[in-house]
Amino acid sequence: MRTFRIGLLLGLRQIQRASVWTTLLIISVMMLTFLNLIAVSGVLVGLIAGAENAVRENSLGDVVISTRSDEDHILNTQAIVRELDTYTEVTTRSVRYLGSGELEANYKERRDLQGDADVTNVKVTGIDPISENNTSNLSEYVVEGSYLSPDEEGMILIGAYYLSQYAELYGDIFETVEDVHPGDTVRLTAGDIQKEFTVKGILQSKVDDVNLNTYISEREFRRLFGRIDQNADLIAVKLVDPTTNQSVKDSLVQSGLDRFAKIQTFEEGTPKFLADIKKTFNLLGTFIGSIGLVVASITIFIIIFINALSRRRNIGILKGIGISERAIEIAYVLQAIFYALAGSALGAFLTYGVLIPYFDVNPIQFPFSEGILVAEPLSTFYKFITLFFTTLIAGFLPAWLITRQNTLNSILGRK
Amino acid sequence: MKLIKAKDIYRTFITGDLETHVLKGVDIEVEEGEFVAIMGKSGAGKSTLMYQLSVLDHPTSGNLTVDNIDVSQLPESEQTEFRLNTLGYIFQDYALAPDLDASENVMLPLLMKGEDWDKAREKAVQMLESVGLKNKEENLPAQLSGGEQQRVAVARAIVGSPKIIFADEPTANLDSISGQAIIDLLGKLNERGQTIVIVTHEEEYTKYCNRIVRMEDGLIVKEEINRKIKSKK
Repeated sequence: MRTFRIGLLLGLRQIQRASVWTTLLIISVMMLTFLNLIAVSGVLVGLIAGAENAVRENSLGDVVISTRSDEDHILNTQAIVRELDTYTEVTTRSVRYLGSGELEANYKERRDLQGDADVTNVKVTGIDPISENNTSNLSEYVVEGSYLSPDEEGMILIGAYYLSQYAELYGDIFETVEDVHPGDTVRLTAGDIQKEFTVKGILQSKVDDVNLNTYISEREFRRLFGRIDQNADLIAVKLVDPTTNQSVKDSLVQSGLDRFAKIQTFEEGTPKFLADIKKTFNLLGTFIGSIGLVVASITIFIIIFINALSRRRNIGILKGIGISERAIEIAYVLQAIFYALAGSALGAFLTYGVLIPYFDVNPIQFPFSEGILVAEPLSTFYKFITLFFTTLIAGFLPAWLITRQNTLNSILGRK
Repeated sequence: MKLIKAKDIYRTFITGDLETHVLKGVDIEVEEGEFVAIMGKSGAGKSTLMYQLSVLDHPTSGNLTVDNIDVSQLPESEQTEFRLNTLGYIFQDYALAPDLDASENVMLPLLMKGEDWDKAREKAVQMLESVGLKNKEENLPAQLSGGEQQRVAVARAIVGSPKIIFADEPTANLDSISGQAIIDLLGKLNERGQTIVIVTHEEEYTKYCNRIVRMEDGLIVKEEINRKIKSKK
């Protein structure tokens, strides 16, 4: 205890009487190291989290009800919808009918009937335009033309990646039709049934499921695909509080609705590869951040070493008058702790007070995602602990190296 | 009572192939209450002898007992504890902790001994007053003159009531008035029974010493008793 008290006195006074600029510089190094640890992995994970958020907001919702693997469609869809409408936690839901077909464009201008038609295979989704828009804000992603109106027929929305003028940015990876714009007519073929649609709008989003999709009204979908039973393929449910999705899912399962459909939370419905990428990016970020950690620990080591070395004689005299080595080591470790705490506190303030709110409002624009900064408090805490102990060791080692030197040699400045 | 008994003390420094014999078999004893001056020309070995006697260094060979404890082979950590409890030091260049104020510098040995903070501070302030530094307790070393810093060093050396005070050329960095004041201070301490061993090369500062030990080439060549000063024992 007495040793700690002396160490505390010496350490505090050294911090108090050190040059303000030097102290600020060291704290800045620690703060940047903390940010490096948090932000690099945070942006990498945020890139995937941004994509996930987009899928949640613009496609799947908080609870995903889909077709059981042993069925072709969701059974008793209307009963499920009625049940959902009784939940106060549910703000909106969109019932979707999914199918695939062949989209043909420019057939009216086609002169060479022997040549290839301008066709592409497309996903077709039948929707109620109002509830879909309430659930996924689909109308916000109309980049040309306009969104579907509830009562009109013969209109189609086409995802941008089916159109050559949008998809050419990505090379030849997408099968497209040429030069299609709002007002043009296209033909959609599902099995033996073919119907002509007018292009109402073109959709472009960060969510590929929107870019690689076509949307028509559910009534026309059922007619085109012969779905007279009104059983849908997917119901995207949006909740008042997205964090309650597990309990809502549990209630739906307890109601026995899982006999008719697969009921999942958004997280459960997220493809495993996304979770794996997230983990990989987190690891990658931690690895890159660790390099910063090593650099910071070397910096702290050098700073404390130079500090202790320049006070070598003073350390020798303290030992000479009977102050224990441990007390002197504690003084230097305390300085390192101070730098680590001050740097981390500033870093945490910047992360949670400035950077995260900033990136939430101004996400980083990646082609497939609006990247945010993800810094889970628990993960941040673990990184802080890592930084703290690394700094502690980096502070202790040089102090230990200097204090273990012969007392008289230290006093006289001999090697 | 003999506080220091040193017999046949050798100290040899080895640098590469070069061996330098600084002490070549020194015998010296110091009685409780004595004020002993070790004098000699530069390179005579007086400081090296003081480092042995004050347990800051290990003799290469020889027997050294301080306060009835064989200190010649004490491990470093026990030496530190021994110095804290038994010895006091005054260094040539004051050697105060630059970040601590005067009172905190004086408090250090007391706190290390486990003294309560408030009591230690009270004692430190009293001690600073006794060396003529009233109202200077919150000054940093850099805010004090050389003479004042050396007074703080004296206060630090005596605050823990050590059995022996070692002073290594305590006046070397001071002007003659300040130097004399420090010697007067040590003289007063000795009058109260404090055992003091001082290394100096200035004859005028030996007036309070009751014994002067003269060294040459690593050996004690002469011991003079100051008849005017009685040993306090």
